[in-house]
Amino acid sequence: MSKNYDLAIIGGGPAGYVAAERAGHKGLKVVLIEKGELGGVCLNEGCIPTKTLLYSAKLYDNAIGAGKYGVDAKEVTFDFGKMMSRKEKVVKKLVGGVGLKMKEHHVEVIKTEAYIKGRSASGISITAGDEEIEATNLLICTGSEAFVPPIPGLGTPNDTILTNREILKLTELPASLVVIGGGVIGMEFASFFNSLGTKVTIVEMLDEILTGMDREMSVMMRQMYAKKGITFHLSSKVVEVKGTEVVFEKEGKTESVTGEKILVSVGRKPVTKGFGLENLSVELDRGGIKVDEKMRTNVPNVFAAGDVTGFSLLAHTASREGEVVVNNLTGRNDRMRYNAIPGVVYTNPEFSGVGLTEEKAKEQNIAYRCVKLSMAYAGRFIAENEGGSGLCKVLVGDKYGEVLGVHMLGNPSSEMIYGACMAIEMEMTLKEMEEVVFPHPTVSEIFKETIFGF
Amino acid sequence: MATIVIMPKQGQSVESCILTEIPKKVGDKITKGELLFAYETDKASFEEFAPVDGVLLAFYYASGDEVTVLKEVCVIGEPGEQLSANQPAASVTSEKEIIVMPVKDEKAVVVTSALPTEIVPGVSCFISPRAKILAAREGVDIASLRGTGPNGRIIEQDILAYLTSKPKITPLARKKADEEQLCTNCTGTGLGGSITSKDLKQVGTAEVTDEFEIKKLSNIRKLIAKAMLNSLQNSAQLTHHLSADARQLMSLRKVVKKAVDEGYKTNITLNDLICFAVIKALKRFPQVNTHFVDDSMKYFKKIHLGIAVDTDRGLMVPVIRNADDLSIQGLSNQMREIAAACKKGSINPELLASEAATFTVSNLGNYGVEMFTPVINLPQTAILGVNTIIPRPKELGDGVYGFVPHLGLSLTYNHQALDGGEATRFLKQIATEIENLTIEL
Repeated sequence: MSKNYDLAIIGGGPAGYVAAERAGHKGLKVVLIEKGELGGVCLNEGCIPTKTLLYSAKLYDNAIGAGKYGVDAKEVTFDFGKMMSRKEKVVKKLVGGVGLKMKEHHVEVIKTEAYIKGRSASGISITAGDEEIEATNLLICTGSEAFVPPIPGLGTPNDTILTNREILKLTELPASLVVIGGGVIGMEFASFFNSLGTKVTIVEMLDEILTGMDREMSVMMRQMYAKKGITFHLSSKVVEVKGTEVVFEKEGKTESVTGEKILVSVGRKPVTKGFGLENLSVELDRGGIKVDEKMRTNVPNVFAAGDVTGFSLLAHTASREGEVVVNNLTGRNDRMRYNAIPGVVYTNPEFSGVGLTEEKAKEQNIAYRCVKLSMAYAGRFIAENEGGSGLCKVLVGDKYGEVLGVHMLGNPSSEMIYGACMAIEMEMTLKEMEEVVFPHPTVSEIFKETIFGF
Repeated sequence: MATIVIMPKQGQSVESCILTEIPKKVGDKITKGELLFAYETDKASFEEFAPVDGVLLAFYYASGDEVTVLKEVCVIGEPGEQLSANQPAASVTSEKEIIVMPVKDEKAVVVTSALPTEIVPGVSCFISPRAKILAAREGVDIASLRGTGPNGRIIEQDILAYLTSKPKITPLARKKADEEQLCTNCTGTGLGGSITSKDLKQVGTAEVTDEFEIKKLSNIRKLIAKAMLNSLQNSAQLTHHLSADARQLMSLRKVVKKAVDEGYKTNITLNDLICFAVIKALKRFPQVNTHFVDDSMKYFKKIHLGIAVDTDRGLMVPVIRNADDLSIQGLSNQMREIAAACKKGSINPELLASEAATFTVSNLGNYGVEMFTPVINLPQTAILGVNTIIPRPKELGDGVYGFVPHLGLSLTYNHQALDGGEATRFLKQIATEIENLTIEL
């Protein structure tokens, strides 16, 4: 006997579990099928564990630098093992929390692999272990996995070659680490290990780290980390990995660098195989499932959200996409917008941005005005960042002065960037922004100060 | 003091009228009692005369526009008086009053003796009195609304629409809509369905949703729709199909082509030749060259041939008057000129009226159509559809069969006016004329 559901969700990451929670809350009969732990990459091997570790690293950094603030912390040490086990505890707590939420909203969770059998008279037929499921609607949130490029010697991850998954399972601090790919994931791990004293080298194929973020700030960030001891090789294409040696071509010359461990963080690819997707004739686009602004695939009643769509690869995008699906299923006309999705690099200092960068504005021929201001214009920043520097940059439309993009380098930009998201979502112009009251003294005032620079 | 003239209500069921004539231009001097505009309902034509002396300050529509009854049509005022909401207009901020004065028959024309609201310089608040009262009562900030009435005037419907939907609009979208005169009556795709700058559209463009797009019909489309439905609903039409041996036609065309190559001026087309043959047949069948009106038949002494022309703006059927007087060259030249005028839009509207023609030819042969049932342009009695040329087996004598090109002919006629026998004989006559056509170059 098969069981019937209004909505079946494959994948319990930020897209899947948020959609399940929202749909259950609205009274839909929901089943969530997850082969691993609830929470997906984000909770188990992404956002949460890395931020937990980065906080430990930041505390350590701050303790070492406490003297500048008149605090004498002697013989500051760290325990890598404790850091890792605390990370496990945090992850466990949050994963458990997701499970509780599922119960609270009457979502049935099946912990096994799902297999889509195809369309049936009543919707879509899915097998999950011994369970036969008939669902009126199907939401696919199978996420993404680390992409390991076909470079000789790289192959599947092993003791030396790691992805985000393996590196989080290390029990001992490596003496040296080579990071292939200077994107967000690469930079965050680099920052963590650099704080703890590992010799870190970043090999990036493009001519700057953190592509897609504001370039000027990316350069500033690279220079900050170069001072802290990270070695950067830009415009460097890895051609071979020989054991612990990474061979790359830079400006026509072949160079190499050796690391006890090698982290591959060149990108991620959507997971579209192994669960019967082919039985639905779902259309793919550049490796991901093709969806419209309501997250509908080309097959009626079949939706996709999160990394499996292959274009945003951010947990917060995934959750919102899941919500869009549920809203449309429950009678609220909702659509996904990608113009105000924040991006944050949780390095120390944090680097956050939302909306258009200057580079993108130029590329798209959008007439803009730009004002940038040193973070030092915010009193609170000076108070808390002895000797630190940072930048806030605001882009507005040339004609109407609407906020197009906001970029900040400095702590705690990750906590303030949402204000800029709202300004962009609401298409606020300078005039409206000027009337908003910011709490004083906070670093967020830098946003207001920059606005008054126009 | 400006006087606004509205579209009078002609009876209970009439919701809108079509403007048919506007003899004056904006800026023209108007004398009381002079014709201001002519308009028609689906049943009759009417004229509206100037209620006061003055200058025509504004006319919100063009001839052919459909105007909702009781909507403002034009404004008469003093020379130099300003009424645009965007211009400073201190001179028209006088006391508002609405005079309802009885004019002609029972119908009443509402004449407002001043612009219905004070105009604040730089603020768009050109608003109808009813809208203004409603807005005041409901506390609607009219400065933030964009009207859908003539010239962006806010009308009661706008206030009602605003009250029912209260669409949120982003500050940017608001500014952009005001500055670039864009329409905010659109689907919002922003936060909570708010209207963003990307959702704004040009005034008058289609309404687009996820599922469909609604486009207003053009005036010509409205007229065609009305005429076509009227024809099928108000006549007993049916179609006979027949074909004519096209060998003579094709050889004539060959002769013409050769002559044109050698410098002959008139490029007589197959369609010209067919129409020429049709005119000959019509001369023998006066009962087809008629209009069927109520309880009588109108027999025309001359043949006024209607020609269906496909244009970018829709189907047009201009008429060639006195076609029976024309030589094949004259007919050919007129056909070309009239089709070009239709395509350019410079055709005299009088030549487009279905009453102007006595018989119509619609040729779809060029497109490869093998058979169709043309719709009669009432009050005409019949219409000929011309189809493509197809080789058909034919006995060539002595039991020998061969393929002979045949031209398909489809005659739709109003069975109220003609009997099947007559119609068939007429159709056969056309075929005979085509098969035996001769021309002189």
